[in-house]
Amino acid sequence: MSSPEKTTPPRKRRGGDGSKAEIRMAFLFLLPALLLVLVFRVFPLAWGFVLSLTNTDGIGKGDWVGFANYTRAVNDPTFQDSIVNTLLLLATLPIWVMLPMLLAILIHQGVPGGKLFRAVYFFPAVLSSVIIGSIFNIVLRYDGSLNNALAAVGIDAVDWLGGSATALGSLIAVQLWSTFGMGVLIFLSGLSTVPDDIIEAARIDGARFWQRLFLIIVPSLRPIIEFVAVVTTIGVLTSMFGLIYVLTGGGPGTSTTLPEFLIWLEQGQLNRPGYASAISMILFVMMGGIAYLQIRIMTRNASL
Amino acid sequence: MINLKTTLLSSAALLTFATGLSAQELTVWDWKSGDPATFGYFDAAKEAFEAANPGATVNFVVQPHDQYYTLLGTALTSGEGPDVVLVHGGAKTQSRAEALVNLTDKAENFSGVEAFSDEAGNVFALPITIQGFAVYYNKDLYEAAGLDRDAAPSSYEELAAACEAIIAKGDVPCFALGNKQGFGGEFFVSQIATSTFSDEDYAAWVAGELSWTDPKVRQIVELWVDGNERGWFNEGANSIAKFMDEYEMFMRSEAAHTVGLLSDVAHWKQFEEFLGEGNVGVFAYPNPDAEVARLPFGGGIGWAVPKAGENQELAMSLVEILADAERQAIFAVETGALPANTEVDTSKLSSEALARALELMASAPGASPHALLNPAVLEEWKRQSQSLLNGDTTVDAAVEAMEAARKANM
Repeated sequence: MSSPEKTTPPRKRRGGDGSKAEIRMAFLFLLPALLLVLVFRVFPLAWGFVLSLTNTDGIGKGDWVGFANYTRAVNDPTFQDSIVNTLLLLATLPIWVMLPMLLAILIHQGVPGGKLFRAVYFFPAVLSSVIIGSIFNIVLRYDGSLNNALAAVGIDAVDWLGGSATALGSLIAVQLWSTFGMGVLIFLSGLSTVPDDIIEAARIDGARFWQRLFLIIVPSLRPIIEFVAVVTTIGVLTSMFGLIYVLTGGGPGTSTTLPEFLIWLEQGQLNRPGYASAISMILFVMMGGIAYLQIRIMTRNASL
Repeated sequence: MINLKTTLLSSAALLTFATGLSAQELTVWDWKSGDPATFGYFDAAKEAFEAANPGATVNFVVQPHDQYYTLLGTALTSGEGPDVVLVHGGAKTQSRAEALVNLTDKAENFSGVEAFSDEAGNVFALPITIQGFAVYYNKDLYEAAGLDRDAAPSSYEELAAACEAIIAKGDVPCFALGNKQGFGGEFFVSQIATSTFSDEDYAAWVAGELSWTDPKVRQIVELWVDGNERGWFNEGANSIAKFMDEYEMFMRSEAAHTVGLLSDVAHWKQFEEFLGEGNVGVFAYPNPDAEVARLPFGGGIGWAVPKAGENQELAMSLVEILADAERQAIFAVETGALPANTEVDTSKLSSEALARALELMASAPGASPHALLNPAVLEEWKRQSQSLLNGDTTVDAAVEAMEAARKANM
């Protein structure tokens, strides 16, 4: 057995010529990435913040209005509704996590046709939201396939996309359908890390399926569950625009208006980039909070 | 060495030449040039422009209609973008007037220029179509319901009686209505208000000073709800798109009426192609508080020149060609749109429905209040119109919400 002194390479002293060269080289390697972050992330963010303090119409420079756009957002019933819709969306988070987890566990347990299911579940994830929206528009509209199928069994038609009680739920269901396959794959990779011998030992000791599930598998998957929860939350808050646009247009009323859709409406349709920027900054702060949560979870689980 | 020098000089000359050429290429943004029905119009304009301006070329770029103003807004904000743009009349153009070249001196012999003008009368786009909003009805369905196929309703009571007969027949709804993006509600504003608004009302409306509690404005909300409560509209209107699901419903004879257009889509020509000439009737939406039902119309779409363009003189020359009588005649005949250029011979646009529409435009002309409404207030009305159809709000609450939106966007 060799001693540590012999295997550790000699360390250069800080402040030496070699160190400076190393720093220069490191900076050189980092430069492209730093420039990309500065030009495409930091600068637009700062520019967006400055815009949010003006009443520009996108053509002229506009006047400095301080935090008036933020005050306006707080008092805007449409923005308030979009936040309520966001909270309703976040309340469905357990479904977004539990469904792919249960399906992944079933596939992992070796249900017949598991590989086929894995592929089929993942398939919608490769479709664009506009295509998915177009498909479900045909299915869910008032004279669509679903209502025709319900009529065949004597159930009255429901205006899935046009009714205020069903529109957001329909949208969530479609988004869930289109993205849960990715969650299944993440859980499957997580399940591969659960030691088979422990499960086998539990089985020999007489533990039933549900006992093995809740006492061994789920606790082992805790870091994966947290990861999926955070990633899914960010995903649903920032990637539902295409579906909203195609399926409901934010309506009826404000039933399916989420902040990202409102930003598009204010910027693209109403020509108010100042106000749109203010809503964007609020959404950014919300997302920043979730990102902070994500980093905390990752750090906490790093040792697991 | 000589070879290198020659190569460099040749390259520089070529680059200069290429730069010169690219400066002569005009980029035009529109949402029409991809439609086969308009190919004749765009080809003729391109040919005439390139013949009149040797060395210059024009490149028509089709942009998605739904995203058009988002893309245009970004282009105008950045100070770069197309040399010529197609725009809608009303607030869409007026709110961007600051970024467009003043074309007043070229705007003679056009109808509907008001939709492309500011309050001082400066014109920012040359119109190529007249946009109108008429109620079209299916004469066969009228006959099937025991109604006189040629007796279009001229009062609210007559319309109510016609709808009662059609609903009693039980085959189809009285009106096809698509309100998924709120366009059903949007067009309804003009259907109702055009018959009662005075010049003073219009001035106050445009300035955002006409309250939604004013009886003439409140009536828009009341009649929208009235039609819904009477069962005139099809079920599920909030999940049906006006363009084109509603119109396809009407063209499949699955509804007796639709509020259609007089421009190049969803109009008499398209409806007659499906339902047959002689089977499409036209009338203006009657208002119970007005003796005469007016037909709302104004400038439809037009060509504008952004100030940020590098070739403004050339761009203006192209706009003049795109809007001249010869080119508008091609557009009108091939698409069925009503031309805005008054020098166009419209005798080739002949049909019973169109004749009736033109008669209404002459005898009972009205403006299009929805096109003059503040876009943010109009957006709120779209939302309220959906909630009213669902019964999620009341007339009073909707009027209150509209009034709040008006005050917030004055």
